[in-house]
Formats: sequence, C-alpha cells, structure tokens
Amino acid sequence: MELTIEQLSKRYGQHVALHQLSLRCEPGLLGLVGPNGAGKTSLMRMIATLLEPTEGIIRWNGQDIRTHGQALRQVLGYLPQDFGVYPEFTGRQFLHYLAAMKGLPSSLVNQRVDEVLEIVNLEQEADRKLPAYSGGMKQRIGIAQALLNDPELLIVDEPTAGLDPAERVRFRTLLSSLTRNRIIILSTHIISDVEAVANRLVILQEGRVLADTTPEALLAHTAGSVWSVTTDQTTALQLQASSQVSTMVNQMHGITLRIVSATRPHEAAVEVSPSLEEAYLLAVGRPAVRV
Amino acid sequence: MTITALTGTGQQTQTIKRPHPLARVIAWELRRFRASRLFWFQALGLFGFLLLMTWALHAPDQIGAGVRVGGGGVSLNGFVAGTSAGGLLRTLPTVLVVLALLLPFVTADGVTRDLNRRTHELLMTTALPSWAYVWGRYLAGLVMSLGLALLLLASILGMGWLLHLTITDYPAPEIGTVLLLWVGMVVSATILVSSFGFALSTLLPRLSTLVKVVIMVAWIVGALVIPLGLGGNTTPPPSWYVNWDPTSGITALGLLPSYSINPGPSITSEAQFQQFILTVENKMPDLAGWFAPHLLLAGASLVLVLVVTFAFKRSRDVLN
Repeated sequence: MELTIEQLSKRYGQHVALHQLSLRCEPGLLGLVGPNGAGKTSLMRMIATLLEPTEGIIRWNGQDIRTHGQALRQVLGYLPQDFGVYPEFTGRQFLHYLAAMKGLPSSLVNQRVDEVLEIVNLEQEADRKLPAYSGGMKQRIGIAQALLNDPELLIVDEPTAGLDPAERVRFRTLLSSLTRNRIIILSTHIISDVEAVANRLVILQEGRVLADTTPEALLAHTAGSVWSVTTDQTTALQLQASSQVSTMVNQMHGITLRIVSATRPHEAAVEVSPSLEEAYLLAVGRPAVRV
Repeated sequence: MTITALTGTGQQTQTIKRPHPLARVIAWELRRFRASRLFWFQALGLFGFLLLMTWALHAPDQIGAGVRVGGGGVSLNGFVAGTSAGGLLRTLPTVLVVLALLLPFVTADGVTRDLNRRTHELLMTTALPSWAYVWGRYLAGLVMSLGLALLLLASILGMGWLLHLTITDYPAPEIGTVLLLWVGMVVSATILVSSFGFALSTLLPRLSTLVKVVIMVAWIVGALVIPLGLGGNTTPPPSWYVNWDPTSGITALGLLPSYSINPGPSITSEAQFQQFILTVENKMPDLAGWFAPHLLLAGASLVLVLVVTFAFKRSRDVLN
C-alpha cells in the first residue's frame, strides 16, 4: 500500500493553506506537526476526500483519489479534529450505525464493535446515551469508529485531545501496535505523542514542508543547541526576552531555564540533551515557554 | 484503552454479502427516529391535535332552509358532517396546513442535520455511496412523513366513527371516499412538501431554516389566505388553479359548488332534510380534473430529489 501526494496545493480565496506539497507514505506512522494554520487539517481532509485540492494529485495505490475515492474510503479510518454524535444513540448503537455505513457485513458487526469498544476501554459505558459521555469518552468513541473497518489508512487529527494522561499513553501504545501493514497519519500539537510512536516526522509551516525527517534525526540535528541554566529572577527574565526558552521552572535556589540556542546563551549554561519539543521549536523558530 | 490486536476484516469480508447501502441508510435512519423521544411526542401531539380538530370541525356547515308545509312555512335545520366528502372538502385543506407546517421539520434536515451536528465528516469518509446516503435519508424522512399523514387519515376515520356512534344523524365515514381524498390531497401534499424541503435544504444547507419558513408561509398563503380571498367571489377560480393547487385550498373551493344544498319542494321534515344533505355530502368527488395533477406534482418533486442526488458533493470546500 502506498499513498502519494504530488504537488498538492489548496487555496481558500486569497489564503494559501497548502503550497506545492509532495509526500510519499508507506506503512508506518507519520507524525504531522506544525503551528496552527500550517495546513495540517486541510491536508488530512484532502487525503480523506473531504476537501478537493486546488492543484495536485493524491494517489492511493497509484490511483487518483478524485476518480477512485471509493477505493480509498473502503480502507480509510478517519478521526476528525472535531466531530459530533447522534444524541439519540448509545455508544454501542453509534458504532453499530457507523459499522453499517462503512459496509461491514452484519455477521461481523457485533464482533468488531465489541473489539473496538475493548480497545478504547469503553465496554462498561457502551450502553449509555452519548450525551452523557465526557469529552474524553467521546474522543474514545471517535477513535473506536475510526478502527471499525480495520483501516489500511488511518488518519487521526488531534486524537489525544481531551484524553487523560493514562488514556493518552494507552492510545499511543495502541497506535504503535497498529503501525504494521497500515499507514497512519497522526496530526497533533502534543510533540510527546509523536516522539513516542512516529517513525517519520513531517513539520508543516505556512502550507509547506519545513522538515521531512525522523524524530531521531531531528534530535540529532538539534544536539548542542539546548542549554540549561539556573539563575535569579532578573537574569531569567532577561534570558527569556533575548533567547528561545522552552521551559522555566521555579525552584528553591532560583529559576531553571532550558534554552534553545545555537550558541551558549549564558556563561553558567550547560549543554543538555534536547527533547523533541525543543527540536521542533528550533525547526519552526518559534519561542514557547512552559513555566 | 487496552491493547487488543484488531481482527482483520479487509480481505476476509470481500466475499461476504453486505446489506444494500440504501437499505442500511433507511433502516438506521428509521432506528434513529424510533430512538428519539421528541419524535414520538411530536407524533402523539399531532394525533391528539388532529383528533381535536376533526371533532371541532365535525359540522363545518350548519344549513337552515325554509320550506312550505301545507299553508305555512317551516324552518328546517341540518348540518354537513365534517368527515363526509362534502365536509372534508370544507375542512381538509385547513387540517392539511397543520401537517404541512410539521413536515419540513421531519424531512428538510435529512442531510443538513449531519452538517449541523458535525457528523458529516464521519459519514463522508465511509464507503457509503453518495446516492445511497441522499436517497436513504430522503426516503426515511418520507416514510416518517407518510406515517404522520396516516395519523391524519386515522384521526378522520376514528373520530368520524366516534361521532357516528355518539351523534344522531351523523353519518359513518365513507372509507373509499375518505381514502381517495386522502391520497389526492394529503399524500400528494406530503410527498411534495417533504421532497421540496429536503431538496432545497440539501442544496442550500446554510439556508435550511429559511427554506422551512418559506415553505410554511407559502403553504399558509396558498391553503388559507388565497382561498379566503377568493371564497366570496361569485366567479369561480380558474380551472388550472383548481386542478394544480398543491395545497388543495383552491381545489376544494372549485369542487364545493357540486356539494351545495338546495332542498326541493318534496322535503317537508327535518329528517328528510338531513337525509337529503347526506346524499349530497357523500357524493364521490369529481376526480377528473385535479387528482392526476396532484399526483404529478408529487412525482415532479421526486425528480427534484433526483437532481439533488447528482448535485450532492461529499467534499465541502470550506476552511474549517
């Protein structure tokens, strides 16, 4: 199986969401990251046949999805960033409904629904009406529906939004277990999600591919560019204004900062191993502070 | 979340027979209606209201006539039964307004609802064919609408029989006549309103509320306001309007002259008078001019849904 994107562009009036983007995906997990408005959701909606490209072609197994969209949808699992549910249904009924819409044979539906409910740990809540679900439970139902047809191409947009830390870890492990024999495209703002599972990382910025790499390669590229320093409040504020600070932690003996910088930002600063988030910040060149 | 390996369904299910996509959509949409308490409350409320209307309109025309008996004059009084053919021509267009006001809410949002609820993307990324989705949603809405139209029929027949059992001289409803008027006026209108509401709302999802309002206002004007204005005229409405009026307000106005009560000199008692009214009011209505055009209008509205099916786009070119 192969997903090929050739010279893909998308314009909304004067706004260019994607510009001449090309990618080739093979089985594995591709982490798609980038700042808000980078074009991640537009790209995923175009792959999912929900949006038509302004220019360019998306091919699934060599076939243009504009003319062979049905073949792609047959093997597609899609979790949108924001989705609604039918308030009349319970979680189980909702999954049965979508299984029917996906064309799963009736004889397999019960088994598949039970299976995906178990995967997302919702067996106990499956017979409650959907309006009674919390945000995290709703998100898990979304993940479950995307898995119903055992998709060859799984596209998940911000799947861990609303999940508690334990559920997030479990979801990441689930994605890891699914990567064999399928293409998974995971879009997220949470870099640690990608770090844990992606074997390929694509950073989008302003509709263009800024980096198409692996987490390891990006980390290696950032080596020697992350520093740690513990200092007083005044110096900390000065460093924050002049450098790209990734974390800022108040401690008993001062404030510890982690700084992303090609050169030593302070005489007391010591080089530390970069996190993927810091590597990402260096790549997109945007400061962010976690206090 | 527990980690469980997924059982593959891709290859092994290629040969397994899957339910027809249209049948799947209709069946699940009907299940969704069934699961909605609001729908059942609406249906129950409508049935109660229709029963009440049929009861309130059980004698839509009170008729008084002066006849000569012997040397003096006697005043005779009678009434037209609301559930007779003549009575239904007087009342049905008004009762139909109630149904027509409810129908856009049952059918118009068949597809638009998914956009409003943000379930559209979940469905459009499945392998469900677009035609099955659009027609399935439409047909499920139509089935529900026809169910509501059946409630109207049940209210006429049910209340008609109750009135027959409890009111002296009240005739039992003629099932054949009632059915003909129901098919010609109610069923055709139900299909027309459902199709129009669904088609326009699907084509213009952002304007679905406006679509409903326009349909409701147009129906009230056609069924009540125009007939009220033309009712006092001595010149009958043009025959094309009588035949092609989808609201049946003018159709009824055009048919009513053949149900006018003109007692002859042989009638000398109230019982004879009521019997005379009965023979007039239960006459089978003349179907020649209007029945086929009403069904044709309903058929034409199905063509509109067909056009919408071709125009429907799975992808929506909007910035999310």
